[in-house]
Amino acid sequence: MVSTKLYTAIYAVLFVSATVQVLVEFAGLSYWLAFGVIMVLSAAKAVLVAAYFQHLRFEPRSLTYLVGIGLAAALALTLAASYSLL
Amino acid sequence: MTDASPERDAAVDGGHEVAHGDDHGHDFPGTGSIKRWFVTTNHKDVGVLYVVTSLFFLVLGGVLAWLMRVQLLAPRALGEGILSPVAYNQAVSAHGLLMVFWFLSPFAFGFANYVVPLQLGAKDLAFPRLNALSYWLYLFSGILFGVSFFQGGTFSGGWTMYAPLSVPTFTPDVGASTAVLALVLFVASVTVSSVNFLTTMHRMRAEGLTLRNLPLFSWTILLTAWMMLFAFAALLAALLVLSSDRLLGTTYFAMESPAGALLWTHLFWFFGHPEVYIVFFPALGVMAEVFQTFTGRRIVGRKWFILAMVLVAIQSFAVWMHHMFLTSINLQVKTLFMITTIGISLPFDLMVFALIYTMLKGKIRFTTPFLFVFGALLLFIIGGITGVFLGAVVLDYEFRGTYWVVAHFHYVMVGGVTALVGGLYYWFPKMTGRMYDEFLGKLHFAVYFVGFNLLYFPLFVAWETPRRVFDYAPELAPWHQLATVGGFVLGLSFLIMFYNLFKSAFAGDPAPDNPWEYATTAEWAVSSPPPLENFDGTPTYRNGRLEFLDIGEVTPSEGRASGPTGAAVSDGGVTASATATVSSALSTAEATEVEGPSHASIWPFVLSAGAFLVLLGLSPLQDAAFPEGMVGAAYATTTVAGGVVTLGSLVAMGLEPFHGPVFEEGEAWPFAGIDNGKVGMWIFLASDVVLFGGFIGAYVFTRVAFGWTGWEPIPPDPIPGLVNTYILLTSSFTVVLALVAAEKRHKWGVVTSLGATFVLGIGFLVNKGLEWQHLFHEGLWLSTNVRASTFFLTTGLHAAHVIAGLVVALYLTARAWRGAYLEDSRSVEYFGLYWHFVDIVWLFLFPLFYIL
Repeated sequence: MVSTKLYTAIYAVLFVSATVQVLVEFAGLSYWLAFGVIMVLSAAKAVLVAAYFQHLRFEPRSLTYLVGIGLAAALALTLAASYSLL
Repeated sequence: MTDASPERDAAVDGGHEVAHGDDHGHDFPGTGSIKRWFVTTNHKDVGVLYVVTSLFFLVLGGVLAWLMRVQLLAPRALGEGILSPVAYNQAVSAHGLLMVFWFLSPFAFGFANYVVPLQLGAKDLAFPRLNALSYWLYLFSGILFGVSFFQGGTFSGGWTMYAPLSVPTFTPDVGASTAVLALVLFVASVTVSSVNFLTTMHRMRAEGLTLRNLPLFSWTILLTAWMMLFAFAALLAALLVLSSDRLLGTTYFAMESPAGALLWTHLFWFFGHPEVYIVFFPALGVMAEVFQTFTGRRIVGRKWFILAMVLVAIQSFAVWMHHMFLTSINLQVKTLFMITTIGISLPFDLMVFALIYTMLKGKIRFTTPFLFVFGALLLFIIGGITGVFLGAVVLDYEFRGTYWVVAHFHYVMVGGVTALVGGLYYWFPKMTGRMYDEFLGKLHFAVYFVGFNLLYFPLFVAWETPRRVFDYAPELAPWHQLATVGGFVLGLSFLIMFYNLFKSAFAGDPAPDNPWEYATTAEWAVSSPPPLENFDGTPTYRNGRLEFLDIGEVTPSEGRASGPTGAAVSDGGVTASATATVSSALSTAEATEVEGPSHASIWPFVLSAGAFLVLLGLSPLQDAAFPEGMVGAAYATTTVAGGVVTLGSLVAMGLEPFHGPVFEEGEAWPFAGIDNGKVGMWIFLASDVVLFGGFIGAYVFTRVAFGWTGWEPIPPDPIPGLVNTYILLTSSFTVVLALVAAEKRHKWGVVTSLGATFVLGIGFLVNKGLEWQHLFHEGLWLSTNVRASTFFLTTGLHAAHVIAGLVVALYLTARAWRGAYLEDSRSVEYFGLYWHFVDIVWLFLFPLFYIL
């Protein structure tokens, strides 16, 4: 398993990344560039939490796929529904 | 509240309860005792309860259908006929909802409960108490629906609950809210059930029973449970939003919200199309089993049949917009969904031909079950072909909202019922130990089949009748009169069945283990009805056929074989006769230590009753306020009382010593080596991903409809949100520390870390409360506009998850204080999985609702 030290390091990274996410908003980037950066930061944090705090990295891959299927269903609904309006 | 129970119990049920040492004796009452049926957690008992209860709802839904058919004897003006206009609308809506939700799926899951563990070689489901909980939630949700009739009238907006008709502006009755809440409770039952079945079916198959060799009925239930897991999560999102619109005053579906009506259709049909297969697949499984048994032949192209079903299950999530061809969605997406719809009909063609070819290659025995499934095949072919018309955009412009649709889906859905009725006759001897009367069975089929076609076929002819109203062109009247006669014939044919089965259950000929020659699945290898724990030994398919390994002393007795006269193998493998039990050198030491599993718990019943009271109490809310006066006070009291009962029974269930069935891991692909509790938790979380996906999707969709960049975040300042992000991240870290401490057997480390998590969670809620308070003072409320609605409701759902988590955290802290989790830290681990998930959700809600 993972050492407490690594958990602490990940916690620090998450903390900083959350701060950066807000700073991006005030950085004066164009809306959609800021949007992209902010969402990528959220996704990166989510992956870190899932991989280490939920220790998916050390579980059989099937559990990751399981969550991936749920995510795919949610994205399919969101994207296709939004597209249908355009 | 209902939302909180699954994850909690998954952790509790699969988690530490094995650690409880004390035996509470074996005072499990017999089937003759009333008490038995309230406390049982045995899958066969639960299966029987499901079947009987669902048949009750069949009768209820059927009587409503009769009322409609009488009203439709002639075209009526307002005020004519036996039903008032609103009563007619209620009958139409309640008939649809009851039949689809409270009859069809539960009927199929009665068989699934009874048969699937037997086919798997399991002693019970993975979480027996959760299985009982599923049943009681189902029953109480049905009772809640029944109550809705007496609260000024039930929901009258059609079973599809289209917006904005479904909001209080147009359907103001309290009963309409109650019906929606009843559905919420029903979805809770389905979610618990899906998690349970998926864990069981993936983890608890006998050695050698690979998915490839899984009997076809079990295959259909496996795919059904997967579809249920994701589809019903989307429905839950839709229903919670609707409940909030009705009770709290949010405005997602209000007339003035951008694309509110369209939002409902997306959410509903994303669930609704998979639901068609959720209802139909178990019927398909019954057809496959019965065809194989009564043609004496393995299904032709078995591998391809399974592949086709898997394809349909996946494709079913990519066809939903074919229900929306007459909405304002764009032409490109309509074309795309027309193509996917035609695509999904192809695997069905393969299945139909496989069944037909199986008949041609086999030697048919026309027993009652076979007649029903054969009839079902014919009806499904008609239902399927008429559906292809609706799948074409241009034809749907003409057919939409007519009786063509009504006739089509009744041929499909009631076609499925036909197969399930065949299943009832097929498994009746197994479930009761007695044979039904074959002549009456065949008579039932004859009357049923005539009644069915007399009822539904004229509706194709009279297709120009508009749906959901009782006025139509006078020249169509003869067809409707024919249909009404058919409706009575079809309904009354069930009297023959009820008489036959009721009488036979007590006075029929005793059924042997396997009354059907050539039935090859494992349920026929044990006695009728099977013993409480299903098998005398450990079932295995190690040698390509079903054998039972002795658990006790190695006794080479031949009598131990529970008498499989015929073949008992998975229907995928070779047919072989299991004539003798194989004794094995299984360690005997284990057997002596193993305590008998518990089968009794009253808490699933009490918990469901509590949830029922909570929702009943909430039903009269409007704009987040109870009505004035005594009535409002009575409802509020009911809510509080229900909350206390729910919470109390959750704790009682957590503390109750309960031993699930002991099982030896056989085939467990793809979750080999992962504990049942953990698999269950992850499966639940996957459905929760879709629930939040539905909420976030609704937000994104509404914002796109509004104009993305013109939409400002509700909180003027992202800093309170950022602080909450810090708090939640820190609380996740403390949960990690709690697990580390538990693994190091450091008691105070566990207590402190869990306690810190609890305090941080409270801090999160307080901070959020202050922020909301501030916004309220600014004049923003849930109903101010849809922008405010999405903010309060989505972050509110997240806060509800935090609260549910805190209840568990408090429980865990208290138990850790008394020294728990040092030997077995799984409960802490599973709680962590949930808590981190809630954290992850916030990582997306924060930017979406505070920054962007």
